[in-house]
Amino acid sequence: MNINRVKILAFKEWREILRDRLFFSLAFVAPISMMLVFGYGIKMDVENIPFAILDQDRSAMSRDYLHLFIDSRYFDYQGDVANEREIDNLIAGSKIRFAIIVPPKFQQTLLSGRPIAVESLIDGTFPSRASISKGYVAAINNAFNTQLLTAYMSQKMGTTPEKVAGFVSPIKIQLRYLYNQEIKSIWSIAPLMMMFILLMMPPLLTALGVVREKENGSIYNIYSSTITRGEFLIGKLFPYVVISCINVVILWLMAIFIFGAPFKGDPVFFFIASVIYVTCTTGIGLLVSLIAKTQVSAMMITVLVTMVPAILYSGLMVPIASMDAASKFEAHLFPAMYYTEITLGGFLKGVGMDELWTHAAALLLYTLVLWLASFSLFHKRVKA
Amino acid sequence: MGEATLVISAQPDSIVNVQNFHKRYRKQTAVEGVSFAIKKGEIYGLIGPDGAGKSSLMKAISGILTYDSGSVEVFGTLISSEASAESVKGRIGFMPQGLGQNLYGELSVEENIDFFAQLREVSPEQLISRKCKLLAMTRLEKFTDRPMKLLSGGMKQKLGLVCTLIHEPELIILDEPTTGVDPVSRRDFWAILTELLREQNISALVSTAYMDEATRFQQLSLMYEGKVIAAGEPEKIIAKVPGTLVELVAHPQAAALSQLKPIFQQVEAVGAVLRVFAEGQEEETAIKQVKSLLSNQEVSAIHASQPEMEDAFIALLSQANLTDSDTAPAINTHKESEIDASKKDGLAIEAENLCRNFGAFRAVDQVSFQVKQGEIFGLLGANGAGKSTVFKMLTGIMRPTGGEGKVAGQDMLRATQAIKERIGYMSQAFSLYQDMTVLENIRLYARIYAVPRKQLKQRVDWVIETAGLQGVEKRLAGALPMGIRQRLALGCALVHKPKVLFLDEPTSSVDPVGRRRFWDILIQMARVEQVAILVTTHHMSEAEHCDHLALMYAGRIIADATPAQMKVALVEAAGELLEVSTDQPLLALKLIEQAGFDEAALFGKKIHLLAKESQQVRQQIEPLLTASHISLHSISPRPPSLEDVFIHQIMTHENEVE
Repeated sequence: MNINRVKILAFKEWREILRDRLFFSLAFVAPISMMLVFGYGIKMDVENIPFAILDQDRSAMSRDYLHLFIDSRYFDYQGDVANEREIDNLIAGSKIRFAIIVPPKFQQTLLSGRPIAVESLIDGTFPSRASISKGYVAAINNAFNTQLLTAYMSQKMGTTPEKVAGFVSPIKIQLRYLYNQEIKSIWSIAPLMMMFILLMMPPLLTALGVVREKENGSIYNIYSSTITRGEFLIGKLFPYVVISCINVVILWLMAIFIFGAPFKGDPVFFFIASVIYVTCTTGIGLLVSLIAKTQVSAMMITVLVTMVPAILYSGLMVPIASMDAASKFEAHLFPAMYYTEITLGGFLKGVGMDELWTHAAALLLYTLVLWLASFSLFHKRVKA
Repeated sequence: MGEATLVISAQPDSIVNVQNFHKRYRKQTAVEGVSFAIKKGEIYGLIGPDGAGKSSLMKAISGILTYDSGSVEVFGTLISSEASAESVKGRIGFMPQGLGQNLYGELSVEENIDFFAQLREVSPEQLISRKCKLLAMTRLEKFTDRPMKLLSGGMKQKLGLVCTLIHEPELIILDEPTTGVDPVSRRDFWAILTELLREQNISALVSTAYMDEATRFQQLSLMYEGKVIAAGEPEKIIAKVPGTLVELVAHPQAAALSQLKPIFQQVEAVGAVLRVFAEGQEEETAIKQVKSLLSNQEVSAIHASQPEMEDAFIALLSQANLTDSDTAPAINTHKESEIDASKKDGLAIEAENLCRNFGAFRAVDQVSFQVKQGEIFGLLGANGAGKSTVFKMLTGIMRPTGGEGKVAGQDMLRATQAIKERIGYMSQAFSLYQDMTVLENIRLYARIYAVPRKQLKQRVDWVIETAGLQGVEKRLAGALPMGIRQRLALGCALVHKPKVLFLDEPTSSVDPVGRRRFWDILIQMARVEQVAILVTTHHMSEAEHCDHLALMYAGRIIADATPAQMKVALVEAAGELLEVSTDQPLLALKLIEQAGFDEAALFGKKIHLLAKESQQVRQQIEPLLTASHISLHSISPRPPSLEDVFIHQIMTHENEVE
């Protein structure tokens, strides 16, 4: 191994990447913008749902009922409307997502001890948001029912409302979310995005970088020179690994400072594991580049082999634990899953080396296999 | 590298020895049973059209491509494995095909050289001295900081050569180094290469698709479709096909062509001149036979000469029965309308003071010329001279900044749509649909150009007959050989019977046989159908076919005349072209250059130079050569080629600018 040759090859590659506008953007601009776009885009929390009110009763009770919605942090009160037609227009124009119509004689009916239906209209175009909205509406409605019952019972029994409350709903659930106390989805999405971006971008950049040489013919400089296979692979790929490491730091800082995700784990272990991960994903790009002949095909293959595991088998969409046996097995075949555990562990659980070393070891093994496979596939005397 | 086997080769002084070489790509055979040897200090040439197998051979010798059978020995080592190939790579320099394609566009000239040097482990001290010397020789010193991607084609090739030579290899392998390079840069490239080889005593294996470069080599193999057709010294290959080349001007040309074609295998119209190769005949009898065949026509300027490499190549191909792969288009003479004067005198293209600016840069500067109906007009110039900008303005794709013009009788400023309906255009790139058959392509173009439905069948049949596409109608366009593809592209451009045809380097990648067939069609279109044809090119072989030429340099037309007039003008301005033959050409060239003949250049073993007084030259050179113990065989005048004209004109203008 001639370190000097490795160095000059790496230096040449580095300069080319920095000067080529396309490669520079792929290397640095694309990961940052992906993080921003996906980080803000895949926000799963449903809060501040805009809504309007049609109060056809205008009684003290209807006002009390509606105030429960107006005061809720999940809803954003947009005002009263005069008739149902207006509601249709507002929902159709996406000004509001939800409307509630209190019928006439609301108070009168309730006081006379009869049930009454309150109509609520929810925009169903985005099912998950609609069902979450429905959950909020039902919960608030329940709260009001309980209030009514409590007031009625305390009046009948002549006791304080507090006593009655314990009687009306004897069991209360005390809920504490671990690792993400406020169940803010961005806290888990930011680390998952790191996994996703660092699985997609390094192989894409690497594959394009190597295949570009094949397409141009500059690979012949390598073939026809005395540089060894190992020197070439290391020198050529070193800059791509370095770029990916820089991206690890940038994305990590973005997760913390832009998206406010807390990092509780061991940073040293996290960075070592991240370096292994990007070396591994760079290796995917290298393997692709040895198969592909053109930059277009390299791009297609890379996106295919990284996108599918990144979305389906990483724990991004479906947690690994809730997969069936076959999917679980497949998930273990891709590197994404291991790194998902490492990032979530570092960011949310605050665990390190002791719990996650097996995952890091799996990634290391994966890396070695990829690089050795590439080394044996790369030849300086080719068949075609 | 332990398993490298040392083999004592049959010819002890040869550094490359190839025996019975075979290479297949899947089912396709690329090279079939080729053998040759390269001696130390020799420039060995591989000449042949695209797909002849040159690149495969060169890569195998460089140790970067496997082969199926036979043997390749380099420096006495049998190249049979990756390890044995590695063991000789340090002594070889390889430059792959493609203009600057193996260089790094984002890096500057100097950074490129440094990278190659460090890759090849050249020590810093050696690097500095070699870099200085090579940059000076290639005159690239002024551009060391310029990124490679901003260099011109010729400069890229020179930089490629510097990078290939920086580790001082004993053998350099250059794959088509002059393809796509303009004649001035080409000649420059050869001069540098010859000088380098002379100084450093290295050997070279060089491939080319240009037959006219044959004389640059000491030894060569003439290749076609994976086989060697002939090998040896250029003169001896030509001598294998004894015969006489008869050149004449006949009127009417198309009739003369059809009368000569059945008798002689090689008859070609090159501009106004007919070239007839009378195989196996002496000069006198050849002229006599041609004259008697054309007794009922006006024949002038008839003279006989030695055949060239291209004539020999085609003759050798037909001897080996390798030319039967496609049918030649028949020449139609029955509707010859050369007498129809009214049609002929019309002007097809008139350009007046055309200008085009790109920002502050003036790409085209006051260009004026006229093309008559039935004329083949060539627009010549190096890359970036402004040819394609003129083309785009005339076809209505780009608006001129100033000036005016008419194309097919229509005003080019106002009637761009009408112009597009009346012209045919064929671009340099293959612009047809490769996944469609020949017939489907022609029908598609007929519909695009709104050929009436009633005429469709008849028009398609006419295209197939004119372009000589009988028998391949059902084949996919992508699967056709290059020569037939180009004819299909031409056929598609002709489907709406345009009055003016625009062609952009139409035959640059076609082999000589295919090129001649292509030009046969063009000549018929011009002479019989009275179509005006405008060709842009920097290939001299294409330029020779034109009736009239305009030479562009830096956006301006610097010469506008017929090829014959241009040659006469050259002789008047710079003197005759003299061919000097000596026993030590490399040394002699240096002495002649030192004596003040800057434009002297080496062609194989002979030196070409321009001089007004041939007697004076002899007096000047002879004592110089004798003093250095070089014996002078002969100094004889030669008719100048268009390449000589082109180079002289450009050099004169470059000197004026400086």
